[in-house]
Amino acid sequence: MINGNLKASYADDERVLDNSYKKAFVYGMMVVLAGFAAFANDYLILVACQMGIMLIAVVGLNVVIGYTGLMSLGHAAFIAVGAYGVTILHNLGAGTVPDAVMPFIAVPVAVAISALIGIVVGLPSLRVKGLYLAVATLAANFIVIFVIEQDLFAPWTGGMTGIETPAPNLAGWVLDDKREMFVLIAVFAFATILTVQNLFRTRVGRAFIAIRDRDYSAEILGISLLRFKLTSFAISAAFCGLAGALLAYFYASILPEQFELALSLQLVAALIVGGMGRTMGPVFGVIVIVMVPEVIKVVFGAVSGGDPSVAQLRAPLQEMAFGFLIIFFLMFEPLGIVHITDRILRALNRWPFARG
Amino acid sequence: MGQILQFGINGLMSGAIYALIAVGIVSVFKATKVVNFAHGYLIMFGAYFYFTFAVLLPGMSWAPAWYVSWEPAWLVEMKEGLPMFSPLGAVLDWLTNLPRVIIGLIGALAANAVVGLIIERVLMRPLMGQSVFAMIMVTVGLISVMSGGAQLIWTADANYVPSLAPNTPIRFTLFDTQIFLFGTDLVNAVIAVLLFGAIVAMVQFTKGGVAIRATAEDQSTAYSMGISVPRVFARAWVLASLTGAIAGAILATRNGVSPSLGLFGFSVLAIVLMGGLDSYVGVFIAALVVGVLEAMTQWKFGGDWAGIVPYVAVLLVILVRPHGLFGQKEVERI
Amino acid sequence: MKLNRRSFLATGAAATGVIGLPAIVKAQPKEYVVAQSLPMTGPFATAGQLVSPASKMFEAITNAEGGIGGVPIRVEVEDSGYVPQRALANYQRALATEDNLVMYFGDSTGFMKLVAPELKGKNATLMGSTSFATELANPEKNPYQYVAGPTYEDQFDILLQNIANEGGSTVAFIYSNTEFGRDPLAHGRQKAEELGIEVVLEESTKAEGADIPTHVTKLAQSNAEYCILQGYVTGVWPQLIGGARQLGLQTKFMGTFWGMEKLIADRVTAEAGPFLEGYLGVMPYRYSYDQEDAPRYRTYAAFQKEHFAGTPLENYMPTWGIEALCSMEIGLEALRRVANKGLELTADNAAEELAGIQDWDSGGFFGPNVSMVSNKIGTGRVYQYSTESGLFEPRSDWLSV
Repeated sequence: MINGNLKASYADDERVLDNSYKKAFVYGMMVVLAGFAAFANDYLILVACQMGIMLIAVVGLNVVIGYTGLMSLGHAAFIAVGAYGVTILHNLGAGTVPDAVMPFIAVPVAVAISALIGIVVGLPSLRVKGLYLAVATLAANFIVIFVIEQDLFAPWTGGMTGIETPAPNLAGWVLDDKREMFVLIAVFAFATILTVQNLFRTRVGRAFIAIRDRDYSAEILGISLLRFKLTSFAISAAFCGLAGALLAYFYASILPEQFELALSLQLVAALIVGGMGRTMGPVFGVIVIVMVPEVIKVVFGAVSGGDPSVAQLRAPLQEMAFGFLIIFFLMFEPLGIVHITDRILRALNRWPFARG
Repeated sequence: MGQILQFGINGLMSGAIYALIAVGIVSVFKATKVVNFAHGYLIMFGAYFYFTFAVLLPGMSWAPAWYVSWEPAWLVEMKEGLPMFSPLGAVLDWLTNLPRVIIGLIGALAANAVVGLIIERVLMRPLMGQSVFAMIMVTVGLISVMSGGAQLIWTADANYVPSLAPNTPIRFTLFDTQIFLFGTDLVNAVIAVLLFGAIVAMVQFTKGGVAIRATAEDQSTAYSMGISVPRVFARAWVLASLTGAIAGAILATRNGVSPSLGLFGFSVLAIVLMGGLDSYVGVFIAALVVGVLEAMTQWKFGGDWAGIVPYVAVLLVILVRPHGLFGQKEVERI
Repeated sequence: MKLNRRSFLATGAAATGVIGLPAIVKAQPKEYVVAQSLPMTGPFATAGQLVSPASKMFEAITNAEGGIGGVPIRVEVEDSGYVPQRALANYQRALATEDNLVMYFGDSTGFMKLVAPELKGKNATLMGSTSFATELANPEKNPYQYVAGPTYEDQFDILLQNIANEGGSTVAFIYSNTEFGRDPLAHGRQKAEELGIEVVLEESTKAEGADIPTHVTKLAQSNAEYCILQGYVTGVWPQLIGGARQLGLQTKFMGTFWGMEKLIADRVTAEAGPFLEGYLGVMPYRYSYDQEDAPRYRTYAAFQKEHFAGTPLENYMPTWGIEALCSMEIGLEALRRVANKGLELTADNAAEELAGIQDWDSGGFFGPNVSMVSNKIGTGRVYQYSTESGLFEPRSDWLSV
């Protein structure tokens, strides 16, 4: 029970982990993840890796949608740029750059390219807002995938048939196993969350929030909309690019159709379900969005007993469940799961003196 | 020159159908300020309903013979001795299908209106007054629900439906080039344009249309003037569903019924933004322009390039004119 | 209080980890698992839904015949929706959860290419598929994947040869804008040139919901004598042919394996008239009604009559099912050979035996005895559809490429 939140200095107040419970939680999670990496079975590792990659992307998306208040339905494009960027760099550098060094060059460059593309895609955000921006980003997503699929670029991107991706070699440590990849993904996911949490203690982060709350007012306060809207897009695209890079490392090959609108919608859905503009929102959201289809699958398998004629109902039901999740949260819990956990924690905190 | 004409005409014909789809998005936006991302899936439902009433039901064992294929004595007589694929044969084949086509259309209109009403009542009305983001994202969620639902009900298989008009080929020479057109395409385009005009006229001149415009102008004032805003909402959604049903039936005859019909919604959404969300005229022009551009791209670069034409076009237009070609600039108070 | 809930979560997560400990059991297997990804939903749902009972039949018949070296098999069917990454997830899941996975059946070229680089060491499994993509028949690069028939390129060769024999001089390629559609194009172009046939049109369309009038218009303007359709299963190709016929075009249409299904042809004929008359294509196998010299087909037919009464499968097995069955029979043959040698059923052993299948009596799938040459079987036949009988009738002898 927290009885007070006493701080003796501004520095204390500004800390990311500003109380002992948060510290215990964060350090505890590190231990749990380490244990998970060591003991979980292959299937859980597989699911956890998918979650981790998606989490990084959703945290990135949160910067644009949750903190800056700009709508985007095209973030899968940045994941594609990251994934293809890393792969192409690896292929270009093969032979000249030692493999053990390659990831340390490829990943930052790919992330930087994503950020650049993010700025380009973000350009319409200066002129249009809300819905128009949603459609502009959606259009950008279609165009990026189209470019990747073009025969013209097929020597580099593999075109429609996809391309094989490298296994990263981190200074001699080749991560060609899912379990090893999980370690890498978990580290990055953790770092991403902390980075974004940290971002909102800075001037840039506060500027984002000011823009979200009222862009014109922010401008009057001296915040350059041009600069900060584009910064926001760049940062968020960079994280998505990172997610893409990890995705390329995780899978043995990638196809352009993996990065279509469906993925963009999944990212947004995870954000809505989890809670926008909150640190833990993406975490909860991703867990739900990844787990619900798995749960439906398990339940269905148990009910149908492997009867294929029933099994064909499963995919449509999973799709519908995905849609219902978005609608349900928007209608009944627009602030997402974070809001539910907030209420529970508050109730626990005040118990037994008050409820709710 | 003749080639350009050929593909120009093709483009105008598909542009007309885009316009018919777009009218649903614009109508809903005008009345409710919601941009319906799931409109393509409403169209897909229309197509599936048409399929149900024109193909599935006649396939049932209890369906009366005239419903399955209408073959009065004079028709059978006329058909005899006709060579395969003759123009008259196409008309007669269409006549045989006519009962299915009519019942299919009526069924699709009715069923789709019900779907539209349900969406409005269950999802949209509770969200009245919520943020634009919430409303748009609800329609995005609706995409998954509807596409999953369609697969659940009809399975995801591509199917064929009878065309709305006789599919007589039309051939003529222009500037020394043979021009080919399909009769049914021409009729579809005419239907689309007439419907578009009728709806614009309705919104402009009838009492219900005035109510829609008044609500678009200012919801609370419209309320206080005695206009039932919820009814306007419902009417707009029904309008969108009805045009969607016709558009769905047309698309189904062109491309076959499959869940991928829903994707048309996205490119039409781009067209709508290009034309200006609240301007029927702008959207009509944008639809025709994109239709022609697509056909030209198809001709010069092939099918895969045509798909992204609307998206490139909308990006360019938005960058220059943020509210579309003819859209009204939003005035914001701080 | 924060701590309580969170530590609770943490314990929960830890507990999940412990429950999920890898099972360390590796004794004499109780059963072998053959897993499949099929498009039970999505654009090719019809195909998937008809193949999945065929897989169950394969399981029953195989087990009645003693399984693999006396150990029964179990066939696990998963839905992929024809999305490669979903099929990949299915495969990875099967790999992680099934200890005795001995064979996998994938459902698209995309999936096979996506999974190919993962097939290394303990992640490898013998893998057949619905795809005839050329790249899959490449044992040096990937010994585990095989094609249960001639590749699309081979099928194009047969068709083009057929055109040349009939004295044709112009051909159009219309293909879906997928890797499935594009696979044999470059090769086809080259082969056409060799045979002195001019390719007057190469037109890509969407895989579903294609803009039929425009494509047909382009075909009409190209004035091609022949048109090869590639990359379609249930949709688009019949509409293209229908549009062309209504426009009065005399173009002769040809298809490859996936455009050769009688069910679709029959449905189109019933719905829109007899315009598929004369449609021609390559088919590696016998149709299921051609049972005279095919003992295996008779076994299937007896099983179908008994177990699938009242379904479309009662009297007919679609070509899609035949293909899946053939692919699995080939894999089974390889696995049985491994078991007969008393070796462990690893992917490497299976791949080695697979490559060694020579002069094999397939029980009637193919006319002559066939051999596995660089992980494909280059045998096929030209069939032509007759709207009157509703059957695809052989137009050539068994050809080898």
